[in-house]
Order: sequence, then C-alpha cells, then structure tokens
Amino acid sequence: MKPLGITGGPLFECRDVHYAYQGRIPALRGIDMTLSRGERIAFLGANGSGKSTLLSLLDGLIFPDMGTILYAGRVLTEAAFLDEAFTLEFRKNVGLVFQNPDVQLFCPTVREDIAFGPLQLGMDETTVKTRLEALVETFGISPLLDRSPHQLSVGEKRKVAFATVLAIDPHVLLLDEPTAGLDPLTSTHLIEMLATAAGTGKTIVTATHDLHILEDIADKVYVFGQDRRMAACGTPAEILADTALLQANNLIHRHSHHARDHRLMRTPQV
Amino acid sequence: MAGKDFAERSIRGALTFFREAIFADETAGLPGVLQSLDPRVKIVMVLLGLLLVLFTRSLAVLGVLYLLSVLLAAVSRIKLGSFLKRTWIFIPLFSLLIAIPAMFSFVSPGESILSAGAFHITRQGVMSAGFFVGRVLASVSLVVLLSMTTRHFDLLKALRCFGIPHLFVMVLGMCYRYLYLFVEMVENTHRAIKSRVGSRIHYRKGQRVVAWNIAHLWMRSYAMNEQVYHAMVSRGFRGEPVALDRFRTRPRDWCWLLAAVAVMLLLGYVEHRTRA
Ligand SMILES: Nc1ncnc2c1ncn2[C@@H]1O[C@H](COP(=O)(O)OP(=O)(O)OP(=O)(O)O)[C@@H](O)[C@H]1O
Ligand SMILES: [Mg+2]
Repeated sequence: MKPLGITGGPLFECRDVHYAYQGRIPALRGIDMTLSRGERIAFLGANGSGKSTLLSLLDGLIFPDMGTILYAGRVLTEAAFLDEAFTLEFRKNVGLVFQNPDVQLFCPTVREDIAFGPLQLGMDETTVKTRLEALVETFGISPLLDRSPHQLSVGEKRKVAFATVLAIDPHVLLLDEPTAGLDPLTSTHLIEMLATAAGTGKTIVTATHDLHILEDIADKVYVFGQDRRMAACGTPAEILADTALLQANNLIHRHSHHARDHRLMRTPQV
Repeated sequence: MAGKDFAERSIRGALTFFREAIFADETAGLPGVLQSLDPRVKIVMVLLGLLLVLFTRSLAVLGVLYLLSVLLAAVSRIKLGSFLKRTWIFIPLFSLLIAIPAMFSFVSPGESILSAGAFHITRQGVMSAGFFVGRVLASVSLVVLLSMTTRHFDLLKALRCFGIPHLFVMVLGMCYRYLYLFVEMVENTHRAIKSRVGSRIHYRKGQRVVAWNIAHLWMRSYAMNEQVYHAMVSRGFRGEPVALDRFRTRPRDWCWLLAAVAVMLLLGYVEHRTRA
C-alpha cells in the first residue's frame, strides 16, 4: 500500500535542479536537497527567491529544466505521470497548499472544494463525507460549507484551502506561506495542527519568510539566497542566530533587532 | 465634469447590476416553497412552462402563466419589487426593437385601426405585438423565478442530469466563480487608481490607465488559469472530474411536478376547447 515506508532512502531528493519560467526568467539555479520521511523542513527566503517554484517542482506540477528530482527513488518527469498508478499514488501521498487560496479554491462551494481531492482520487462517497465532517469539526468551518469561496475572508480562504488538502490525508504536506494573512489566534491554531500532523509521522515542508514561526514548524531550515541557490542549511536555532546570513538574504533589515528580540523571547528564563 | 461622473456612475451601476443579477444567491437560501424543491424538478417545470409559452395562441394562457409565476415568487418569499424589476427590465428594449415595429402595416399587413399618414397600425399587428410582449414577459418571469430560487451552482449541476457532460458543467461553474473574482478585481483596481491619482484624473491619462489595466487583467487571468489547473492536478484531477451528487427527490417534488403537468394540460385543454 505505501511503498514509501519500505524504501529506506530519502523521500525526496533534488540534484542540481534548475528552473526558469518561460525558459528565460530564472527561478532556481542549482538546488541540492534531500528530504527524509517524517522530517519537518522550512524553506526560508525573501520574496521572489524561488520557494514557491521549488514546491511546485516537488509536487510534480512543473519539471526541472536541468538536474533531477526523485520521489521515493523515482525520477519525477512528465513521462512518469503518464503512469496512472504512479500518479494516483503520488497525488494521494503528496499535497500542496498553494500560496494564493483563490487559485486553490476553484469549486463553487466550500463543500465541493473539500470533497474534490478525495473524490478525484477514487475515495467512495461515504468516506468522503466522514472526512468532510471531521475537517469541518477541527476547522470550525461549518457555517462556510455552502458558501462560495469568493465570499470568504482571506483567513477563512486559507483555512479552507488547508482543509482541501488535509481531506486527501497525504503523507507529505507542502505548505506555501500558510500563516500569511492569519490573525495570531488562527495562526497559532494552524501551527498546533501542523504539530499534531507531524506527530502522526507526516513529512511537512513549509515555505515562509516569517521568522517567528520557524522553530515551531521545522527541524531543519533551508535558506534561499538572492542568487537563486541554497544559501545555507541548518537547525532553526542556528539560522536565527546567524544575523549576517539573514541580513544578506533580506530576511531582516540591517537596523532591526528582530532576530535578537526573537531569540530573547524564546530563551527559557534561567 | 458632469459627463465623466455620469460615465463613472454608469460603470459602477453596471457592475453592481451585474453582480446582483448574476451572482446574487441570497434569495435561493430563503426558506420558501420553490427553494425546497429539487433543482431538477424545477428545471422540468420551467421547461414545461416555456413550451406552453412558445406554443400557445392565447393571450389568456400567457396571462395565467405570468400570474402563476408571480404567485410562485410570492410563496417563495421573493420581494415582489425585485422580482418585477428583474422581469420588466427587458421589456422596453424588446418592445422598441420588435413589438412596436410589429404593430405597423409594413410588418403586419391587415385591417387598419389607426393611421397617421402613410403609417397604419393594424389589428393583427397589435395582436402580434401583444403576443410578443406576453411571451417575453412570461418566459423571462419563469427563468428569473428559477434562477432566484436555486443556487446557481445547483442549477449547473442539475444540467448534468439532462445529459450535459460533467466536464462542461464544471467548466461553466469555474467560469462563473472566476468571473466574480474578475468583477472584483476590476472594482478594486478602479478604486486603487482613484486613491492613487485622485478623481481629477485627465481624460487621456485615464484612458491609458484603463487600457493598461485591461491588458494587465488579461495577463493575470492567463497566469491564474495555469495556476488553477495546477491546483486541480495537484489534488488528483486527471481530466475526468468526479463530483458529489446530493440531489434527492422526495415525494413532494413529485407532487409539484404532477401539479405542474396537470396545470399545463388543463391550460392546453381549455385553450383547445375555446378555440373549437
Ligand atoms: N508564472 C511566472 N512567470 C514568470 N516568472 C515567474 C512566475 N512565477 C514566479 N516567477 C519568477 O520566479 C522567481 C521565483 O518566484 P517564486 O514565486 O518561486 O518566489 P517565492 O520565493 O515564492 O516568492 P514569494 O515569497 O514572494 O512568494 C521570481 O523572480 C518570480 O518573478
Ligand atoms: Mg511564493
């Protein structure tokens, strides 16, 4: 059923991945990265540094111009997705929450949107309905169910977008700036849910430029440089302590004490 | 200055009307009689009504159908004013283009009942103009009634039961959903321009801004199109959509359908008898 667990190797492996939009707007220039099962990873980078692009590549929506991406030992190419069995397997196991919820919510009602993924992946209607009810419960979105996504606030859209992916119950969650536009309470709630998900063994990759949530969502951080390559990789604590690195990559302003304040805030009082 | 204000007001008015007429779903959520029926049954009822409108040769039948639709609107908790507004809005246009010319002898030759110089209004002409307005009014009322008492997407989904392919219905549904987004974008950009350059923008410059905006909108919709497709693929879409079907016909749906058929037959019969 889940061959991922059986193969001992990394879940995702990127080798010298290059990608350019329309063949001329470079977005990634040589990314090397491995991702193991159950890991929590953050992609940290300024605007336009290629985080969303890498997530799309990992989700098999676009394919590298140069270099390779492997998923459970299999190279992700357009041809690989012609294999129906593989596609089904991959889509069931990997879910992407898009940065723009308006893109993600394309169905006329919230209910249909949440049911969309499971139904496409061949789940039967009763299971879909049970899942729908469970998700509605956790997210507290029952009043929104029959509304059209265009009638929701940004935060509500984000919640629903997240629910549409959780409905598939994938093993790998790819999240593109999940906390952008959320109020502190909802944002905390979301982070708690991610922690729960990680507790059940899910692999979670989050793209963000929010330094505050870094320690809560990741064990390992990849920093995206302005040169469209990986600038650094380390634990959240290491990355947050490296003020020079964060400055060089436009993640904090030279005069801000953001990172330091953050460290102070988090350090347990002794 | 006044001219520009007028243009601006009409654009805004058009957008509001568009939004209200096409996207308003509020009346569909009211606990009225028609709202509680299965959309498929409603579609069949309206189709029956439309057939009768098309084939009847009696003004009285058209009148009865029109009264029925007003009555149904009333029991479905639709405000009479907004129902009438939506149905009568088409009448002036159609009258001007078709009904009024039809009254004259050069369109409908026949027995003259009023003449002014070379222009003769004929009895046959008045009759056919009356029929025309009556048909438009009755059929528009039926369709407006259907659209005001049914969630638009349910309407689309119900089409699927009449053999229209699911993919087509889904694409329609998405068009509908994103159309709204674009109406909103147009409004927002308009507001953004105003807040940036103030309302006293030079006419020429305004034109350029608008042109640029339209180009931008196209580009955005193109990029969005691709992203939406990705979002679908990411959740397992493989060209043939699967959807949740939650229409249920209950006994009362069948009762209404039977009643509708009975009324249509009765009207047809009465018309036949009075003619014979
Ligand atoms: N559809 C597209 N067409 C052309 N260029 C694009 C497209 N999408 C992204 N780019 C470009 O690719 C680069 C990387 O974009 P990407 O969206 O991956 O960045 P990001 O790190 O997600 O940024 P953000 O934090 O703003 O979301 C940017 O320079 C961007 O201009
Ligand atoms: Mg991004």
